[in-house]
Amino acid sequence: MPDAFLAVENIRKSYRDIKAVDGVTFSIERGEIFGLLGPNGAGKTTTIRILSTIIRPDEGDVRINGFSLKSEPDKIRGLIGICPQELALYADLSAFDNLVFFGRMAGLSSQEAREQAENNLKLMGLEERAKKGRVDKFSGGMKRRVNLAVALMGHPQMLFLDEPTVGIDPQSRNNIYETIEGLRRKGMTILYTTHYMDEADRLCRRVAIMDGGKIIALDTPHELKSRFGDPEHISLETVFLKLTGRSLRD
Amino acid sequence: MKKAGFIALKEIRDFFQDRGDLIFSLILPVLIFALMYGAYGQQLQFNITAYVVNQDAGGQYSQQLLTQLKAHPGITLKMLNQEEADSRLERSNIQMAVVIPEDFSASLAAGRSTQIVFKQRGHGGTANQILAGMVRGEADQINREVRLLNQVKTDLDGSGASQQEIEIMLQTVSARLESEPAVKVADETLGARPDMVSQFLPGIMTMFVLFAINLTAQTLVEERRRGTLERLLTTRLTVGELFAGKFIANTARGFVQTIILMLLAWAVFNLFTPLSFLTATVVALVFSAACSTLGIILASLTRSQNQATWVAVFFSMLMVMLSGTFVEISPGNLLYSLSKLSLNTYANEAFREIITNQASLGSLSHPLLVMSGVTAAGLIISRLLFRVNQGKS
Repeated sequence: MPDAFLAVENIRKSYRDIKAVDGVTFSIERGEIFGLLGPNGAGKTTTIRILSTIIRPDEGDVRINGFSLKSEPDKIRGLIGICPQELALYADLSAFDNLVFFGRMAGLSSQEAREQAENNLKLMGLEERAKKGRVDKFSGGMKRRVNLAVALMGHPQMLFLDEPTVGIDPQSRNNIYETIEGLRRKGMTILYTTHYMDEADRLCRRVAIMDGGKIIALDTPHELKSRFGDPEHISLETVFLKLTGRSLRD
Repeated sequence: MKKAGFIALKEIRDFFQDRGDLIFSLILPVLIFALMYGAYGQQLQFNITAYVVNQDAGGQYSQQLLTQLKAHPGITLKMLNQEEADSRLERSNIQMAVVIPEDFSASLAAGRSTQIVFKQRGHGGTANQILAGMVRGEADQINREVRLLNQVKTDLDGSGASQQEIEIMLQTVSARLESEPAVKVADETLGARPDMVSQFLPGIMTMFVLFAINLTAQTLVEERRRGTLERLLTTRLTVGELFAGKFIANTARGFVQTIILMLLAWAVFNLFTPLSFLTATVVALVFSAACSTLGIILASLTRSQNQATWVAVFFSMLMVMLSGTFVEISPGNLLYSLSKLSLNTYANEAFREIITNQASLGSLSHPLLVMSGVTAAGLIISRLLFRVNQGKS
């Protein structure tokens, strides 16, 4: 990969006898939106938690912008923003206060944090409600947008978006898509996980499909579809089901 | 450490916004304190209104008696006439009236016996019996002085001494008797001052600070539950800064809690002097820091709110009981040895020493060192225990 911003090298993570991540290797180019897809329990969230320095891998290493996850996690934290699957917000604070707080934690000064909070909330179409009312009074879509706006605090170069559009209305979802595409145009590198295959097809240049802790396929959506038929007439969801099977996962 | 300060500020703001926390930490101790005052406050001070019928108004000795009674702290005199006194006694409006007869001063001056009457309903009540004893004591003193005066007058009669010289001599003798009584009475107290407040108030103060470790233990669990802990750990905030922020906020909360109770104790029970209050402030700060650390250790160990609550309740109750908060633990038995394992034991000891003996910081070095040691070790242990592994994909 000519300009790999993120390089994952054979990472493994086990919880007792369960191999949550089993020898995963991939890389993401600078400015690329990369989709990490898989059924429940495939190992996507564990992979994101490793990449975002929350947990350490049992084996392997990750390099983000040249910094090693094992030896330089603090430097990596200065480069990344994370939008977790569950809303990670202080429910009793306003949207603005949430952003300012996490901005300060990202190392911004008070003034910088306030300015950036205003910009990010405007970007997410939340400027009207930014300072009015606690976040727990917001609709699901608004909370999701705040969740993403927080991830943008501190000018990260890479975003980890773990199912950022779960349970929201089409308008909010569209706002999030447009924001993500806008960020990519500005050079942001994004790792995106989702269960909505049309979303991955629309946003991601390449996708990796995980199952049982391993990557079982990695390519552009078009190439993956062409493996199973005419890419114009086959959906990514069909490809996904063919690769991971139809048995239910818990 | 700016980020730690910001975390601490947020924690403190959350604390003041959460009414439950506020009631638990600040208002509940004050309520317990009020109950304690109701239970024990009256034991410290004798307060009574003495209803007096002075039929010898203007008499020298009746005035002297009233002046001496007034000088007793806690006695308030209220003058009634005979009719009012009878009527109020009849209606049980008062339980006792002290009647000074019309000839009180004249009889005493003439060397004749006279009689003070306690008119009462039944036995007048315990407080009035105490009052009656005090009136008897004052009457006795006047009686002795008058008899002495009469005796000296009789003895010096015909010696050529003037009335003025006799008076001066008598005053001198009286003053000497008062300042150098033949029998002196002294109080000697072994151990702590034997009143309920100085015995148990330190325990009540420290108990609530310790109970608040439950709130401290919840802080990380709550961050975990909300998902904000993981988010925080992906920022430039270090675990050390996160712990420092939580530690500062919870120490401040415990400290404020203790200071409020100390101020109340000072105002209501007069337990402190300015210097001893300052000394107690240092103890309060060190104790709050140690409790905060214990809370953070529990926060590092527990993963759910239920776990945090139960472990904190068990831990704090055990420490409170072992520290002799409710029962005095005497040296020499197993419980006494076990009490040394409780943080509250050291804080209670320090506070008791300050209250009863005006102990200085130097003399409190042992409990202060133990509590500081717990704080330092606790911060290291909690940092080592901290794990963020929270399940799997």
